[in-house]
Amino acid sequence: MAKLTPRMRNWLEGLGAHIGTATKKGFPTVIVVDSAKVEGDNIVKFQLSDAQVEQIKQNIEENPRVALGPGGLGSIRAAYQFKGAARLEGNTLIVEVNEIYCTKPGPEAALRLDVLPYESVIKFETTRWRDTGPPK
Amino acid sequence: MKLTDEMKEALSIIGGGGAVVHLTTCSADGKPNTVAERFVGVFKDEYIVIADMFAQKTRVNLFENPIGVITIAHPVKGRTWAFRGPTTILQEGLPPDYEFHGAVAKEVLDEWGNWAEKEPPSEVPPDIKPPRLVQRGVIIMKVEECYSYKPEEAGKKIL
Repeated sequence: MAKLTPRMRNWLEGLGAHIGTATKKGFPTVIVVDSAKVEGDNIVKFQLSDAQVEQIKQNIEENPRVALGPGGLGSIRAAYQFKGAARLEGNTLIVEVNEIYCTKPGPEAALRLDVLPYESVIKFETTRWRDTGPPK
Repeated sequence: MKLTDEMKEALSIIGGGGAVVHLTTCSADGKPNTVAERFVGVFKDEYIVIADMFAQKTRVNLFENPIGVITIAHPVKGRTWAFRGPTTILQEGLPPDYEFHGAVAKEVLDEWGNWAEKEPPSEVPPDIKPPRLVQRGVIIMKVEECYSYKPEEAGKKIL
C-alpha cells in the first residue's frame, strides 16, 4: 500500500493538484483544486465546486482511475505523481493513492516510489530537496 | 483553433525558468497520467509544443491514444486554461514530410528540436534543474478546444 511522506502531504495540502480523469475509452478531462486534505497513509480528499463535480462525475462513475500532479509551485518543486482510485461523496472527491512516482527531470523520472521501503523514500527526498513543503 | 495573443504569451514565457504546464494523457483503456512540463512553446498559432526529454509513460500513452490536456500550472490574470486536442511526439527520423494534423515534422523539429540552444533554462534553481538537457523530440498538441478550470466555472468553453 502506498504511504505518503510528510513532504508529499504538505505539498498536496498546501497547493492542491491538477487532477487527471478520463472516460473508460481514454478521453481525458482535468480539473484543478488548490488545496487538499490528506488522511491516514494514502487518502487524499478534495473539495470540489458544483461545476467541477458536474465536469468529472461521469468519468469517475465509469472509470475511477485518476492521476494527481501537485499544483502551483508544487508543479516545479514537488516532482511527484500520484495515481489511484477516486469516488465522489457529494462535493468531496476521495482518492485512494496506490502508486507514487518521481517526476524529477533526469535519470529518476518515472521512478516508482511506493514500492520502495518507506525509510528509503524519506532518504530519497532529503537528499534531493531542501524544503519540506510549500513556502509559508 | 487559433490561440489568442494572450494564450501565446502565457505559454511562451522566456526567462524566469519558462512557462510550466501539466500534461495529462491516458492509456487507451483510460488510465490517466499527469506530469509537469517546463519547456513549453507555441508553433504556428495553433499548436502547443513541449520538449520531450524524459517522457516515458506519456510516450506510451500518446502512441496508443493520441490525445492530451494541457493545464497552466501558474495561472495569473485569470488564465485558468485547459487546452485539449490531438497530441503526439515528433522525433528525428520521421519522414521529413510527415504531418500531424497539419504540422510538418521537419518544420516543428527545425524550430523546436533543440530547446537547450533556443531557450536555455539558465534561471532554473540547481536542485530542480535537469542534469543535462537531452531532447529526444517534440510533444505537439493541435489545440481543438480550451476550457476554464476555474472552480466556479470549470468546463466553461473559452475557445
